[in-house]
Amino acid sequence: MKQTKQNYMRGCCLAVLMLLVNFYAALPMAHAQAGTGVSVDIFGPGQSKLNLVILPPRSLDGNPLPELAADFEQAVRQDLSFLPFIELVDVGSLLGGDPSTGVKIEEIDLKPLRLAKVDMIITMGWQDNDLQGRAYDTLSGRRLVGKAYPGLDKPKAPLAADAFCGAFMRALTGRSGFFNSDLAFVGKVSTGREIFTVSPQGRDMKQATRQGGINLSPEWDNEGRRIVFTHVGEKSHSLGIWDKNTGKTRMRSFPGYTVIGPDFLPDGDMAVTLSIKGRPDIYRLNRAFQVQETLASSRSIDVSPSFDHNGVRMAFVSDRRGNPHIFLKEMLTGEVRRVTYDGKYNTSPCLSPDGRYVAFSRQMNGNHRIFVHDLMTGQERQITFGPGNDEEPAFGPDGYFIAFSSSRSGKYQIYLTTRHADEPKLVPTGNLEATAPSWDTSRIRY
Amino acid sequence: MTAKRMLIMVLVLSVTAALLAGCGKKRTETMPPGATKVEVVEEPVDWGEQQPAQQQGPTEEELLAQRKAKAVQDLTEIIFFAFDSNELTPESRDILQSKADVLKQFRDLTMVIEGYCDERGTVEYNLALGERRARAAYDYLVILGVSPDRLSIVSFGEENPLDPGSNEQAWAKNRRDQFRVFQ
Repeated sequence: MKQTKQNYMRGCCLAVLMLLVNFYAALPMAHAQAGTGVSVDIFGPGQSKLNLVILPPRSLDGNPLPELAADFEQAVRQDLSFLPFIELVDVGSLLGGDPSTGVKIEEIDLKPLRLAKVDMIITMGWQDNDLQGRAYDTLSGRRLVGKAYPGLDKPKAPLAADAFCGAFMRALTGRSGFFNSDLAFVGKVSTGREIFTVSPQGRDMKQATRQGGINLSPEWDNEGRRIVFTHVGEKSHSLGIWDKNTGKTRMRSFPGYTVIGPDFLPDGDMAVTLSIKGRPDIYRLNRAFQVQETLASSRSIDVSPSFDHNGVRMAFVSDRRGNPHIFLKEMLTGEVRRVTYDGKYNTSPCLSPDGRYVAFSRQMNGNHRIFVHDLMTGQERQITFGPGNDEEPAFGPDGYFIAFSSSRSGKYQIYLTTRHADEPKLVPTGNLEATAPSWDTSRIRY
Repeated sequence: MTAKRMLIMVLVLSVTAALLAGCGKKRTETMPPGATKVEVVEEPVDWGEQQPAQQQGPTEEELLAQRKAKAVQDLTEIIFFAFDSNELTPESRDILQSKADVLKQFRDLTMVIEGYCDERGTVEYNLALGERRARAAYDYLVILGVSPDRLSIVSFGEENPLDPGSNEQAWAKNRRDQFRVFQ
């Protein structure tokens, strides 16, 4: 009797304590906006966090859960860990534990969720290897996502997780494309450097090129079908084009021996630095790789062209004023203006798909850091803080995420942050030294 | 007076005759009167380490090959640059002058000029800077009379550092042009 009373008292204390913990933990975090439902403005000055609980997977037919259930849940957790505006809350921290008896909203007790300031829940229902995934707004009870993935197996489960999280992100932010847009990057191998591809979550890493020697500066075309890159050969540079469908690489060389930092234009033409006149200028190449007009030229170095999704603007680096700085060319009028004035070494520009922002690396006290310049307001913001060097920023398809390479771990690897300077997250690439990320922006959805 | 003139004429004639005799194909030994002729005969002596007759000295071809090998070696001498600069130093100009001389002497040699940077910059800008460094040496050699057909350039940017260290000493070594020679 005494034992029962003690347990009861302990239970009450724990409940109060948990309430307090949850209350204070939730204080700095944003939660559902009354009336309008859950949404995230990833384009504002910086977003608050939303609390999310992933409820345990449930069997829909009374049979035991398939092994895939754990795989799928793990992949969803990994995907969501890349979204800086999501705070995953453990179901065990809820008062009374798991508040659900099924996967639909009417089978879930929302009170403990609301009490714990949980904004959203995800449920997973399994029947054999068929999955139903749902996400709900806990305040309104509105379903944000409802998707069915029949006939899953081991390889398909993570892909289904990516698709589900893509739909989830689209429901929250109005944009998707993050979870199924591959990054290309340069990986160091025993024979030199080769081009690789990987999903931003580190899934499905593949070696694209096997050229030997040094291969640098990969860039996707607007359809996500080809990667163009620089090949540094024994006697000269070449332009390499890797075709995703065939897996084959074609090489082209040009007068002047030099090929630096190619990029695709939306129409399939390319911009690349060549040294035809004995100095590195930026030229346009047509689809047949014939040299067309000069896009940027000075008596000094012009390099690293980067275009917005429509090819209306080109950011590039020029040291025409003595030091390397970022410049912007309006492609329709030909007008060129200088973007950066601070610092003495501003390089590696990347225009956001909408053409409003330019991310670049600036050398400060001997180290490179990533900055984002708002071309509309002229404001500049530092978004990475080392340690080591942070270089080669690349905008994601939504203009929100930014991939970059950093030596912060002692070895160059790829990290993701956002335009709002969220905590960088490592893109797993095994033991490879990885640099020069480039995002396939073909799956951009507005 | 007549006797003196006669004596001078005889002297001039005898000197001319002696000179003409000296230019003739058939050489005659002239011994001063009263001198004793000493015959010196060189006999082969086995010194123990005598080389076979055919290897006693390098042939002309071998000498040429040796000179060429040294020339190729000389051509590979590295030149260095200041930070973020593609200016040739006076020392680099001297080295390039020697290279131009060698290239003009051995006209079957071709050369790839490789431009390199230290690790502090970023990849694409460094590739361009390496190009400028290689181009500086290329242009100078062309001015000195080396045919551009025999030269090509390739920039490696910050790849393949000579010294992998991250200090001023290593960086100074890595800001360079290297030269690869082909025959």
